[in-house]
Amino acid sequence: MNKQHNKAKKFGMVIDLDKCTGCGACMVACMAENNVPFKADETNKLDSITWLRVYKLTNGKSFPNADFCYLPRPCMHCEGSHGHSPCVSVCPATATDYSHETGIVSQIYTRCFGCRYCMAACPYHARYFNWWDPVWPEGMEKYLNPNVSVRMRGIVEKCSFCYHRYQLAMEKAYYEGRREIEEQEYQTACTQACPAGAIVFGDLDNPEHAVHELKKNPNAFRLLERLGTNPKVYYISSREWVRQAGDNYLRQEGKSEKN
Amino acid sequence: MKVSRRTFLSIGSFIVGGAAGTALSPLPWKLTDDLSIWTQNWPWTPMPERGEVSYVNSVCTLCPGGCGISVRKVNDRAVKIEGMKGHPVNDGGICILGLSGLQLLYGPTRIKTPLKRVGEKGQGKFKKISWDEALKEVAEKLGTLRSEGKSHTVACVSGSACGTVPQLLKRLLTVYGSPNFMSVPTMQDAYAVTLKLMHGVDACPGFDVENADFILSFGSGIIEGWGSTVRMFKANSAWQDKKIKVVQIESRMSNTAAKAAKWIPARPGSEGVLALGIAYMMLRDGLYKKEVCDSAAGFEDFRKTVSENYAPENIAAATGIEKETIESLAKEFAGAASPLAICGRGQGHTPGSQYEFMAVHALNALAGNINKAGGVFTVPDPKYIAWAEPELDETAQKGMSSPRIDGAGSETYPHAKSLLNRLPPAILSAQGECPVQALLISEANPCYTLSDTQTVKKAFAKIPFVVSFSSYMDETAQYADIILPNHAYLERLEDAPAYAAGLSKPVIGLSKPVVTPQFDTKHTGDAVIALAKALGDKVAAAFPWESYAACLEETLGDKWKSLNEKCFAVVEESIEAPLQFFKQECKPVFAEGDEKQYPFVLMPYDSIRLANGFIGNTPFLTKTVPDTVLRKNDIFVEINPKSAGGDSLSLREGSAVMLTTPKGSAKVRVHLSEEIMPGVIAIPRGLGHTAYDKYLAGKGINCNELIGPAEDSGSGFDAVWGIRAKLSSVSI
Amino acid sequence: MDSALIPEGVKRCSVGKFLIFLGVVGAVLLWGVFAMLLCWIKGLNQTNMNDYYGFALWIWADLAVIALGGGAFFTGFLRYIIGKDELKNIINYAVLIGFICYSSALLILAIDIGQPLRGWFIFWHANVHSMLTEVAFCLSCYFGVLTIEYLPLILENRQLEKVPFFHHLSHNMHEIMAVFAATGAFLSFFHQGSLGGVSGVLFGRPFGYREGIFIWPWTFFLFTWSAAACGPCFTILITKITEKVTRKKLVKDNVIELLAKISGWMLATYTIAKILDTWYWASVTAPSKGFWVLDFYSNNPFYGPWILVLEIIICGVLPALILITESGRKSKPALLLAVILAAIGVSVNRWVMVLQVMAVPVMPFDSWYMYFPSWQEIATTILPVAYGVILIGLSHRYLPIFPQEKELNPVD
Repeated sequence: MNKQHNKAKKFGMVIDLDKCTGCGACMVACMAENNVPFKADETNKLDSITWLRVYKLTNGKSFPNADFCYLPRPCMHCEGSHGHSPCVSVCPATATDYSHETGIVSQIYTRCFGCRYCMAACPYHARYFNWWDPVWPEGMEKYLNPNVSVRMRGIVEKCSFCYHRYQLAMEKAYYEGRREIEEQEYQTACTQACPAGAIVFGDLDNPEHAVHELKKNPNAFRLLERLGTNPKVYYISSREWVRQAGDNYLRQEGKSEKN
Repeated sequence: MKVSRRTFLSIGSFIVGGAAGTALSPLPWKLTDDLSIWTQNWPWTPMPERGEVSYVNSVCTLCPGGCGISVRKVNDRAVKIEGMKGHPVNDGGICILGLSGLQLLYGPTRIKTPLKRVGEKGQGKFKKISWDEALKEVAEKLGTLRSEGKSHTVACVSGSACGTVPQLLKRLLTVYGSPNFMSVPTMQDAYAVTLKLMHGVDACPGFDVENADFILSFGSGIIEGWGSTVRMFKANSAWQDKKIKVVQIESRMSNTAAKAAKWIPARPGSEGVLALGIAYMMLRDGLYKKEVCDSAAGFEDFRKTVSENYAPENIAAATGIEKETIESLAKEFAGAASPLAICGRGQGHTPGSQYEFMAVHALNALAGNINKAGGVFTVPDPKYIAWAEPELDETAQKGMSSPRIDGAGSETYPHAKSLLNRLPPAILSAQGECPVQALLISEANPCYTLSDTQTVKKAFAKIPFVVSFSSYMDETAQYADIILPNHAYLERLEDAPAYAAGLSKPVIGLSKPVVTPQFDTKHTGDAVIALAKALGDKVAAAFPWESYAACLEETLGDKWKSLNEKCFAVVEESIEAPLQFFKQECKPVFAEGDEKQYPFVLMPYDSIRLANGFIGNTPFLTKTVPDTVLRKNDIFVEINPKSAGGDSLSLREGSAVMLTTPKGSAKVRVHLSEEIMPGVIAIPRGLGHTAYDKYLAGKGINCNELIGPAEDSGSGFDAVWGIRAKLSSVSI
Repeated sequence: MDSALIPEGVKRCSVGKFLIFLGVVGAVLLWGVFAMLLCWIKGLNQTNMNDYYGFALWIWADLAVIALGGGAFFTGFLRYIIGKDELKNIINYAVLIGFICYSSALLILAIDIGQPLRGWFIFWHANVHSMLTEVAFCLSCYFGVLTIEYLPLILENRQLEKVPFFHHLSHNMHEIMAVFAATGAFLSFFHQGSLGGVSGVLFGRPFGYREGIFIWPWTFFLFTWSAAACGPCFTILITKITEKVTRKKLVKDNVIELLAKISGWMLATYTIAKILDTWYWASVTAPSKGFWVLDFYSNNPFYGPWILVLEIIICGVLPALILITESGRKSKPALLLAVILAAIGVSVNRWVMVLQVMAVPVMPFDSWYMYFPSWQEIATTILPVAYGVILIGLSHRYLPIFPQEKELNPVD
C-alpha cells in the first residue's frame, strides 16, 4: 500500500441551485450518515449542529417581485493558497488538517480540545461546537453508523465530505488490487441522497469527473471568493441576483456588474 | 497550638519536597494522560458497534409514492436508509422523510406491546396486555355486536384503500356485515371522481411529467411532496435541464413557485375560475384540439357555459390577475406541444373542490392531451388482488344492505367511495345510541389530520369501542380502547401499490422486513386474520389463509417471485377513456367566515420538511424546520408586511398575535414575508401534535384546529383550502 | 491577632473588619466558583455562547485582563531595563496586578475550552502556525515569570523573612530581577502581539483581518503598544482605588506622574498608529473584500460607529492628551479620568476585536446576531475580580507592597 504513487486529488462539489429544491434531504442524509445528534428543541439555529445547512436567500424585493433560492452549505474544504485554509492554520492543537492527498479538511475529534478558534476563523459557519452531550432516546442509538465516531461534548465538528466513504472505497480498491477509485465509488451521503440530483461530487482536477467540466459553467461561482478562501464547493445559478448573493460587493461594484 | 519554627520548617519541607517528588514521578503525567483518554471515551457517549455490513432492498411505505429503498445494516442493526438505484420511481433518490425512517423504527413513539385503555378516552393512559387477551377482547366485542344485530355499527378507517391489508380489513367488514369501510381521502379521490365524470372510467390519473413540455400548476406543490415525491423532484430537475417552463399559480410563493419559471399569485380559491378563464380564451381563439373536443359529449354545453360566464374581465377581477397575463398564459399553454395542467393543493393530501379539478382537467381535455405522451393518463386499478367472493351469512347480508354511515354512494353523494369527513358529524348529530359502536383504525390519524380536530375528537370520544392498529402513539391511538400495534414499516412484509401517486404507469412494490420486529407487535394482516378466525363460521371461512404472509404470496401469485427479487413490478395497463364535458354543475368552495369580521384568509401550506399525514415528523425533520416557522414551541404564520401594519396592529417580525377563525383561536407569531399575497395568512401544516414524543409534541399548533370542513357540493369530500381569519393583539 | 504577620511600621484595619471584607468578597468568589463548576460539569451549554459566538465574554475578558495586566511587564521594563528607578515604588503592585490578571486569564481559558482535561494538547500537539499556540506558550511562560517576580514579595512577609533561607532567596531573587523583567518584557512583546494576531490573521473575517504590514508588524505592535500604554494606566487606577479604600497615600505623586507621562506618550503614539491602521483597513482592506466600513457598523441594534468614536477619540486621543500635558497629569481628577478612559479604551478595543469580529455577518445572506452572556458567564468573569480583590487585600495586609507607605503614613 504505497500512497505516494497516488495522484493527488482535489475533491469538490458543484451544486446546481436551479435544481435545488430546498427539501433538506441532504441535511438529513448527512445527519443520518454522520451520527449527528439532535435535541428536543433545535429551533435555535445558532447551536444546532447541521454539517450541511440549507440557507434561504431572498432577493429583497417586495411582493410580487420577491424571489428566493435555497443554498446548501457544506464545509467548503477551502484550499486557501497552498492548503492554507482559514481554519487549519489557526488550530492550536493541530486537530484540523488540510490533506494534500484529497483536498479534504479533516477534524480530529479526539485531538480537539474545544477552543473554537477555527469557528471564529470560518466565514461560512461550517463548524459546529458540541455544546451538549449527544443523547439518543433509548433504543435509537441502534441506528448509529460505526464508520463515523460519535462526538463527545466540548469539541468542534464539521462536514468531512464523508471521508470514511473515501477510506472504505480506497480499502476496497486496494483489496481488489487497484490504486485508484472510480468516480461513483466515492460519493458523499448528501450527493447520493439529493432527490433533485442537484449535487455533483468528484475530483475537481480529474477531467473524467463531472465536476471538472461543471465548475467551468459560466454561471458557476463560489461563496466569498474575494476573501481568498479558495473553496472547493461551486454553485451554479442562472439567476443573476443569486450569483451576486454569493459574495460581498460594494454598491457601485454591484451596479457596474449588472450593467 | 504554637507551631515552632522547626516544626513549621519540617512540615514546609515535607510539603514542598513531596510536591516536587510527585511532580517528578510519572504519576501526574500518567494521570493527565489518562484523564484526557477518559474524555475521548466517555462512557455516556455511545460507541456504535462494528460488524458485518449488508444491504436489504425494500419499498418505503411512509407515503404512497412507492420509492425503492436500500437499507444498510451492520449485523442486525439498520443504520442507514438510501434510495434504491434502478428503481423505476426514484432511481437512487430519496426524500427527507424516507431518509429519517430509522428514527421511526427505533424511536420512542413506537407502541411496544398491545395496550388496553385505563384512563379517560384521549388521555393516553394504557396498561400492557398480552396479544391473546387483546385479540380475545376485540373478537368478543365484535361478536357481541354482531349477535345483537348491530354489525353495521362497526366501521373501519384505513389510511388507504389500496393493497392487501386495507382489502383484508374491508373483507372483514363485509363478511362481518358492515358497509362502513372508509379510507382517508386525498386529491386522488377528487381526481378519481373527475375521471369518472369526464371519461366514465374507474381510474386514477397518471401524469406523464417526464414528457410534458409546459406545466401549468394550480397550486400543486410539485417539489413540496405532491404525487410521488422523488419522481416529481427528478422531473423538476429534468425540466430545468430541458428549459421546460413551469407556471405556478398560488397565493403564496412556495418552493415550487420559487423554482418555477413564472409565479402568478392568484387570489386564494380562485384557481378553478382561472382555469375556466383560460378555457374561455382557448375556446374563443380556437386554440383547442377541435378534432378531440368538437365530437365530445357535452362540449357545446360546456362551450356555452364558459363563454357566458368566464369572460376575461370577470376572471381578472375574481383572480386578481391581469387580463393580459391570463391571455398570454392561455396562448402559451395552448401553444405547447404537450402542455400539462395539474391541481391538488400542496402535497395533495386533501381533496380539492370538484369544480376546480374538473376545470383543470378540462384544460387538459381542450389541449387534447388525455392518454397522450406528456399528458394525463387514465390509469386503471392494477387488479392484482383477486380473492374469491366471500360467502355472506344472513347477518352479513343484512348489515351490508344498511346505508353507509358517511353517505358515500348514496343519492346525495353518488361518486364518492367513502367520506371520512362526514363521519364525525354523523356521530355527533345522531340521537340516542352512537351510530358507530366500534371503530377499527389502521394507518390513519384522523384526530390530527381531519379538519376541525376538536369536533373529530369529540366524536371519537363518543364511540364506545375504538381499536387502533397504529405502530406509533399518535393522537388517534390515544383515543383507542385497545391498541393492536402493527410492526413498523421496516419490520413487515407487505405489498405497496404505488397506484394513487400520479405515476403514468403504476408500480406494485413489495415492502420487505429489513429487521426483525423490535417489540411485541403483530402484522395487522395477521391480526385481521386472527380476528376473523376468532369470529368463526362464515367470517372465518372468508379468511382461509394460515397467515398474512401466506395470503400475500397467494395473492401475488406469479408476480411473487420477481417481486421478491426486485421489490417492484411495473404494470402496463391502459383503459379507453372517451371524453365528455361536465355533466353537472359544480360550485367553487369558498372560505368560511364573514369577510367584515375576518379580514384575512388563512391558508395552510405544506412543507416537505414537515410530515403532516399519518406519520408524525421525525426528530431529524423537525431539526431542519427553519426558525421562521418554529421557534421554541411557537409557530410562525406568514403574512405580507403590507397586511401587518393595518388597523390597531403594527406587527413586526416575530410579534405574537392572536389568530382567530370561526373555528377557534390560537396564539401565533408572525413572520413577515414578501412571498405572500397581502390579505393572506399562511400557516404550516404538520405541527401542533399533542401525541408522540418530546421531539414533536407541543411544538406549534395544528392548523386543522382552526379550520373547519367545507363539504364539496359535487363530491361530498372535504374540499376546504382555507378559512377567513382575523388577527388581534395579545399580551405575551 | 494577626499583628505578627503585618509588616512593621504600617497600620492595618482590625481582623474583624478584614474578615468581613474577606467574607463579602469571598461570597462573590464562591458564586463564581459555583458557576465555574457548572460549566465544567455540565458543559458550555451553561453559557449563551453559540456557533456564531464561539468567542464571547470570556475571550474578551481574557484579552482585556492581559492588556490591563500589561502594567507589570512594561513597568518592569522601564524600571529594570530602561532604569527608571523611581518606579521601584510601584513595581511591586504592578507585578501583583499582573500576576492576578495573568492567573485569571489562565483560569478563564481553562473554563472556556470545551475539553479542559485536554487543554495540555495545545503544548503537546502544538501547531506553530497558530496564534493561540504562541499565546499559550508565552502566556504560560510569562505567568511563570510573574510568579517568580511575585514570590520574593511573599517571602518578604515579616514571619517568612525570619527564615534565613527565605530571606536569602528573596534577596538573591531581587538581585537578578532584571533578568526576569527582561524575560517578561520579551515574552510579553510576543504574546501581546500574538493576541493581536488572533483576529488579525482571520482572512475569513474581513472585520478583523489586516493585510501586509498591517498584520505584521502593525497589528502585533498595536496590541503590545496598547497593553504597554494602558496596562500602567490600569496599575495607576488600581493604586488610586487602593489608596481610596485604605484611606491613605501609598505611592508618591512623582512616581505616578512619571508612569502617567510615559503611558501618555505611549497612548498618543498608539492612537496615531491605530488611526493609521483603521484608515488603511477602512479604505483599502475592507473594500477589497466588498465591504464599506459602515457595513460593519450598521443594520444591527448595537454595533454602531459610536464604537469607533469611543475607542479612538474618547478613550484614545483624549486620555493621551491629558497624560502628555503636565497640567493634565498633575490634576488629580484629570489623571483619574485619563487612566479610567485608557482602561476602558483598551477593553473596548479587545471587545471589538473579539465580539464584533464574531458578530459581523460575512456571508451576504447571513444576519447579525446579538449576544448577551448568561449568568454563569458573568459569574465566572467576576470570579477573577473577586479573587484579585482578595489577593490584593491579603498582599496589602501582610506584604510590604508599597515601599513608600511607611514614609507617607508614619505611625505615631
